[in-house]
Amino acid sequence: MSDIQQYAYWMALAHLPKWRTEKINRLIVEILHELNMSFYDFFEMDQKSWSEEFHFNSKELNDLDIAKTELPNYSFLVEDLLNQGFELIPIDADDYSPTLKNNLKLKYAPPLLYTKGNKSLLKESSIAIVGSRNASDISLEFTKKIAQNTVKSFQVVVSGFAKGVDRTALEETLTANGRSIIVLPQGIMTFAGGFKKYYSRIIEGDVLVLSAYHPKAPWSVGLAMGRNTYIYGLADKIYVAESDVKGGTWSGVADGLRKNREIYVRKPNPGENNANDLLILKGATPVNINGDIVQREELENFEEQVKNVLSSKPLTAKEIKDQIHIDIDTRKLSSMLSELTFVVKEKDDGKNRYRLKNSELIQTNLFDSRDI
Amino acid sequence: MNRSQAEQKLQQIFNIDHFYDDQWKTIKRILNGERILLIEKTGFGKSLCYQFPATQFSGLTIIFSPLIALMRDQVKYLKSIGIPTECVNSGQEPEENAEILEKAKNGQIKIIYIAPERQENREWLEAVRNMQISMVVIDEAHCISVWGHDFRPAFRRIVSLVRLLPQNFPVLATTATATKRVAEDVRTQIGNNVTLIRGNLLRENFHLSVVKVHNEESKMAWLAGFLKKHAGGNGLIYTGTRVNTDLFSSWLQFAGISASSYNAGLDSESRKDIENGLIENRWKCIVSTNALGMGIDKPDIRFIVHTQMPQSPIHYYQEIGRAGRDGLPTRIILLYNPEDRELPEHFIKNSRPSMKKYEKVIDALKTEPMGEWNLMRATNLTQTQVRVIRADLIDQGIIKEVMYGGSKKYEYQYGAPQLDTRPFEELRNFKMAELEQMISYSESSSCRMDFLCRYLGDDTVNHCGKCDNDLQKDLHYNLSEDRQKKIDEFRDSYFPELEVETKNSNIVNGVASSYYGISNVGAAIHRCKYENGGDFPNHLLKQTLRAFRHKFGNEEFDLVVYVPPTESGDLVRNFAGKVARTLKFPLSPKLVKITATKPQKIFQNSVLKRDNVKDVFLYRDESGIIGKKILLIDDIYDSGATIKEIGRLFTKLGAEKIAPLAIAKTVGGDI
Ligand SMILES: [Zn+2]
Repeated sequence: MSDIQQYAYWMALAHLPKWRTEKINRLIVEILHELNMSFYDFFEMDQKSWSEEFHFNSKELNDLDIAKTELPNYSFLVEDLLNQGFELIPIDADDYSPTLKNNLKLKYAPPLLYTKGNKSLLKESSIAIVGSRNASDISLEFTKKIAQNTVKSFQVVVSGFAKGVDRTALEETLTANGRSIIVLPQGIMTFAGGFKKYYSRIIEGDVLVLSAYHPKAPWSVGLAMGRNTYIYGLADKIYVAESDVKGGTWSGVADGLRKNREIYVRKPNPGENNANDLLILKGATPVNINGDIVQREELENFEEQVKNVLSSKPLTAKEIKDQIHIDIDTRKLSSMLSELTFVVKEKDDGKNRYRLKNSELIQTNLFDSRDI
Repeated sequence: MNRSQAEQKLQQIFNIDHFYDDQWKTIKRILNGERILLIEKTGFGKSLCYQFPATQFSGLTIIFSPLIALMRDQVKYLKSIGIPTECVNSGQEPEENAEILEKAKNGQIKIIYIAPERQENREWLEAVRNMQISMVVIDEAHCISVWGHDFRPAFRRIVSLVRLLPQNFPVLATTATATKRVAEDVRTQIGNNVTLIRGNLLRENFHLSVVKVHNEESKMAWLAGFLKKHAGGNGLIYTGTRVNTDLFSSWLQFAGISASSYNAGLDSESRKDIENGLIENRWKCIVSTNALGMGIDKPDIRFIVHTQMPQSPIHYYQEIGRAGRDGLPTRIILLYNPEDRELPEHFIKNSRPSMKKYEKVIDALKTEPMGEWNLMRATNLTQTQVRVIRADLIDQGIIKEVMYGGSKKYEYQYGAPQLDTRPFEELRNFKMAELEQMISYSESSSCRMDFLCRYLGDDTVNHCGKCDNDLQKDLHYNLSEDRQKKIDEFRDSYFPELEVETKNSNIVNGVASSYYGISNVGAAIHRCKYENGGDFPNHLLKQTLRAFRHKFGNEEFDLVVYVPPTESGDLVRNFAGKVARTLKFPLSPKLVKITATKPQKIFQNSVLKRDNVKDVFLYRDESGIIGKKILLIDDIYDSGATIKEIGRLFTKLGAEKIAPLAIAKTVGGDI
């Protein structure tokens, strides 16, 4: 069903305004697989049969009516795209990334991908290296190491083309003669500068440029945030160079951990101002600068120590810090404490104090993913 | 809507009371959202088959047509009957086109005519995304097929578009000239479910004949006699080359017949003027390459004479199809010399550059994306070669045409297939076989109309009763001595024009004494330049002075300046000196080259030629140029890049007029 004559229909459905991805995907599945109709049949239906068969509300009916009249316009746009060497990959096509489909499911997997370059990279084993735009030198160092390792193991590096970790991962991969998927925070027709820059690597098959957005969509914060989902979705494994306590990296990793994804976080050196150890606390696997898995000893020590000092009486974060001689600021220690399942926080005299949960006196299981 | 309802509307809107059966058959299906290929002869009324449905649809009808003249006529007509219609083309100012696109977006237009090339235009592609479109029409649809007589790569994108349109979106493709093979090809290209509607092809008012001759002079003489004594009304003379349009029209003028020449090398303003002149019968005839006549709305072209047989019967049928649309008797004559096969054979054999040149382009595009000009710079190929290669590489999916901001560049594709040359060979063989058919037509002794119609898939004619063979006339022409003398006289006074005039320069069109390569002049120049033959001989001087007198009469010039040579040598200086002495104008040696250039002849295209001479000249006495009329002398005029560059310099220095004079002009050259 995904031959090129269907592309205008795919675009019309994929870009229905303000429809959730899942709703679009479910509609596609219903049309093509459950009802065994063609898109052509679907768009031949009138409003009445649409509401009878699919129970659309009036906004949805209106959207579909407009989409129907825009089909010829999408044909013009598809022609333009194909002429310029872009490819369209609908979610039911063989070329569609199995990793992406498997990770994001119908809920988040984009119904239509736009690509240029070697699309077989979508079938390769892949990693993503993520981190903030203003990452520290050591995080960039880590990024380069991981990129080099990835190239050595013939895997593909997924990059979001943002400043900092993203761009370093991409450049290092290409310098090491590796292969990369660039996931755009914008429509694929608005990336002329990038196509020029990576021209030779694209035509050699080392780079695939991919976008899940309307081809003409300009960059925006919203698209950049949404793009993170696709980066995580396209990778088999995720390496975190550096994360803040909020922002794209943080929420992406937190979401990934909830879904039991394989996530490796660089274990920070003492005194680093980031949230890497928090992610480790949340269950991510700590790795050293070379990407090798390290023991969670220190972390377990930290938990033992907290248990010890709290066993006699509740303490403030400041007091805990002083007693266990930990070299981080109090605010961050508070965040870490709140990750510990055996600790509860109480307000007393206008001060936050931590004490052990009663049950914790006997429980030894430190991690409960339900809480994260 | 049934037929009588439709015909009521037809009466109201178009003031026409009924459809022909094939028209209604087509329209009914179009209104039903079907795809149709309609093949009907010129004059059938194909355009009504899309104009009428266009008035019935809620949105816009887009008509892709390669014929600007036809667009203009139809827009005028449709506007006059109150149907909001516009055309967008490169002949109009960008602002005007932008305004029309805006109207189309706002739904203020029912029909828009655009050239196929427009499908590559950014503004158009952006605008069309926001138009409500109801139908797409492809006029001259035979241009889609390489098996036809006029394949145009610009139609490629229209084909891709039509394949992508929704299944029930009405598409009408029309042509007057398609063999079965072309029709089949067009049908498969524009998608599944295309219905073919085909009418008969007999043109009842045509009197076809072939006149057998032995040489070019005979053609010239026969033509003069025919136009003076036998040809009624006004018509067209088709030649095989641009050079010959000029030669034949000059000859006819020399023989006292009012004639003009036309070819694709003219600027659009001149072309438009000549097209108008054709409609107004300003001349007895227009001598043209086959660029003229397509889409011109003149019903009473009374005769068409070919001085060179076309490549195939389908070319021929298409070219003569422009005549006699009013149904009155029309004479269609081919002047045939068996040796004439050489020209089309040459075109067919050289229609594609060598494989090495394809590889050059591919290799260049592997380094970086390039536009056409940079590609010409990088490969040193002619513009025509680059365009042919580019179209083939796009067709085979090896390169793509990509937009970088506002400019078009070509990109090599990841995973591109190897260049496949088999289709080129197959096409070449096919065209050679078609040429043999054209020769068969010329030598045939049976009905000529039957021959052409059969070739195009219509075998209903048998005997037209009007052609030379049906009337049992065997036409030959032998040249008399008198006529030969007259032609010799003409040849002695015939000088090729150097067309260099532009708006921003004070340079005027000049003259050369002869064409290089088709006379002994070229050989003489070559001996002097490359075989140490000494100064240019006196007969060249005499001939050049005659050309000067012919073009400029007794006009006085203030200075004679010559183009400084690339390599050492005084040939041109000595020659210019002799010209100056004879004409008694002062000679100036002050024009020099400040940077070394390479010989222009090693560059195959005008971009590189222009780059090579840009800013390389200096005049040693700048104030000596102000207000002067300058005669500028060179030995061989090729692309004109050097002459134009010097014209630019002298204009900047304040020259009043710069007139070029060359010994010989090369045939061909691009742009
Ligand atoms: Zn006949």
